Amino acid sequence: MDAYLPILILLILGLLFAALSFVASTFLAPKKKPTAAKIAPYECGIVPEVEPPSRFPVRFYLVAMIFIIFDIEVVFLYPWAVIFRQLGSFGLVEVVVFAAVVFVAFLFLISNGAFSWGPVVRLTPGVPARTSSSTIARISGRPGGPVTAAGVPVSTGTPGQAA
Amino acid sequence: MTHLAATASTIHLPHVNYVSILPILIMMGGALLLLLLSSLLRRIISTGVCTAITVMTSAAAAVAAIVQWDQVLANGAQTTIAGAVAYDGFSVLIQLLVPLALGLTALVADGYLKREGVVGGEFQVLAMASASGAMVMGAANDLIVVFLGLEILSIALYVLAAFNHRRAESGEAALKYFVLGSVSSAIFLYGIALMYGATGSTNLAKMAEFLARRAVLSNGLLLAAMALLLVGFAFKVSAVPFHMWSPDVYQGSPSPVSGFMASVAKAGAFAALLRVFVSSLATQRLGWQPVIWVLAALSLLVGAIVALNQQDVKRMLAYSSINHAGFILLGVDAADARGISSALYYLVTYTIMVIGTFAVVTVIAGRQDRATGLLEFRGLARRQPVLALALAILLLGQAGAPFTTGFLAKFNVIEAVVLTHGYTLAVIAMVSAAVAAFFYLRVALTMFSPVGEFGDGPDDDVPLDPAALVGAATPGAASGVTTVPPRAWSAAMPGIDELADAPPSEVVEARGKVPVPPATWVVIGFCALFTVVFGIYPAPLVDFAQHATLLFI
Amino acid sequence: MTVGADWYLGLAAVVFALGLLGVLVRRQTLVMIMCVELMLNAANLTFATFARSLTDIGGQVLVFFVLVVASAEAVVGLGIAITIFRHKADVNADSLDRMKG
Repeated sequence: MDAYLPILILLILGLLFAALSFVASTFLAPKKKPTAAKIAPYECGIVPEVEPPSRFPVRFYLVAMIFIIFDIEVVFLYPWAVIFRQLGSFGLVEVVVFAAVVFVAFLFLISNGAFSWGPVVRLTPGVPARTSSSTIARISGRPGGPVTAAGVPVSTGTPGQAA
Repeated sequence: MTHLAATASTIHLPHVNYVSILPILIMMGGALLLLLLSSLLRRIISTGVCTAITVMTSAAAAVAAIVQWDQVLANGAQTTIAGAVAYDGFSVLIQLLVPLALGLTALVADGYLKREGVVGGEFQVLAMASASGAMVMGAANDLIVVFLGLEILSIALYVLAAFNHRRAESGEAALKYFVLGSVSSAIFLYGIALMYGATGSTNLAKMAEFLARRAVLSNGLLLAAMALLLVGFAFKVSAVPFHMWSPDVYQGSPSPVSGFMASVAKAGAFAALLRVFVSSLATQRLGWQPVIWVLAALSLLVGAIVALNQQDVKRMLAYSSINHAGFILLGVDAADARGISSALYYLVTYTIMVIGTFAVVTVIAGRQDRATGLLEFRGLARRQPVLALALAILLLGQAGAPFTTGFLAKFNVIEAVVLTHGYTLAVIAMVSAAVAAFFYLRVALTMFSPVGEFGDGPDDDVPLDPAALVGAATPGAASGVTTVPPRAWSAAMPGIDELADAPPSEVVEARGKVPVPPATWVVIGFCALFTVVFGIYPAPLVDFAQHATLLFI
Repeated sequence: MTVGADWYLGLAAVVFALGLLGVLVRRQTLVMIMCVELMLNAANLTFATFARSLTDIGGQVLVFFVLVVASAEAVVGLGIAITIFRHKADVNADSLDRMKG
């Protein structure tokens, strides 16, 4: 049972840490709750009735994701390059296989249009592009706009893209 | 620099036995090939072609595994690639089981993808990648290889869970699975790091050797490492108390993916769990066995009891899979050759049964996987008797009815535990099997109860399958129940009564026959036949599992 | 003053605990993904420290694998978060409550 003692101590320390954090936050956090005026988007002018929709630039995340993947693959090339001569043909074959695998992923991205960063005309084939009349129909909730089986209006573009 | 290069000029390259990793290479190659084809031939390649490529890849991998089996039988168990990959009967069994499960899933998914109107081969690519991860886990003889296999398996599964992006539940399930799965992977990895510090290696053979050589009496590091590894594995096999993700994820994911998760992910995780704990950490048994005991007991009880109360069949199957994880953990708890072989046999039979069950759920659920409530199964026996019969067989198999593979599977793990004097656990398992029989029978009886029974007078000639009653004779239950008439059964089961009191919904009344694609028929038929044929004549399968265990490193 | 291996291990343990606490406490999906990265990197630091104290190059090689796995996991997590954005305006984990029971 001696062996479990360190775990027990670790457990107690962890619980203490969590408890202390709570206690500390009650002492250190600002006492006054912010007033409604303080957290309003504008301190003067017309009071906004609804929260402004937060724009989510999906495109930037896509670029970041692609970057992360291809950036991290280079990690494997560096050690290989250091001992390239000693590894000989075996190392070369392995790296070529590795590069081919990464290249297939690259091809997949190209074919899906992940690298066409120009203005997007239409992402889903078969769905009509958004027009002012379809938008009016969508907002007013009247039928007329393209609607999926679930009753959710089809959005033709990503939310980040200006209509 | 020249000096450095001169001293390092002799790099010892490990010997690679390519046959030992051939099924994995085939599987990964198939995934890459399909990815390449679907990028080059976008909008040209049809779902049928993608399915065909997946099934052929699975078949090729399975054939390679059979070749491996012959080699292993001839040469005995060995390791390759500097001891990182095991080449033994145990690994070959996983290399055979996973492609089989993948092929069946691909056939079910074919109908699903056509129904949902999904184009492109991404689903099959991800499924093949995920399956290759499970195969890596089965063959891994090094903790870091286990981790890589686990991640290949899981990362593809996270995306598969989110595959139906028109359905909000699918994304929600994927996010839950992702967050909890990645946390469990991180915990597992930290366990590997601590194990590396405690034993000086991540290689399972070297670890075992180190631990056998030195009697580690009070090593907090080693114990913490084992605890973290166990938490990681328990998350992946969804053992209580690390099961919270599985009901939501099974319910939200596309139905074929839920079946894939329940079969392949569980097979991979259990393969690695058995190899790491039973084989390599055998000397530390006193440290981990109590934890496995608790995990098994909780999974058996919580899985069975909570499933009783579920109104959604996919959720119920998730709790049932937690219950099954408890049964497989019995084999781990026994921790001997008999335990391993019974756990393997259980894995094989469960994999087939659960894929077949989810195949039926896939066709019943209809578009967008909406109709998964228990009431949707009402009157199925009248509308589609063959489908209902197949589902009844698969459910009875899961319940452990005699003359199905499930009976011997449950019997074997309980026997293994009894022989290692785990009587309490064996009793818990039998109670759990008896409780579990209720909710399987509940679905079966729902199917065989007519829709209009309470609308247009009692209908006494219910086409009740006699096998549904035999199902009650699980290893734990008394065998005399076969004489109890059907009405007594529904009186004995509160769940059935509740169901009977509920007015039949209009949706159910309006439901006609659900279309079953031919490929899905093949899967359902195969799984049901497998369950019955090997239930009546189990010798080959049992022999296979025992052989695989004898050739265990 | 030299800093021993224990300090590095202690730092890694604290970072790991903070990551785990963050996943359990925070409700923002992106923050949760960042916390998982913290946990993985704590494991990396442990690997590197043990590799140094055991004078075994193997532990450092493992760090490479973990880095790649961590990045792949982050990318998939971001992708799933984006698909959820299409259904709801926020990625607060508390609002993911369609399934219960």
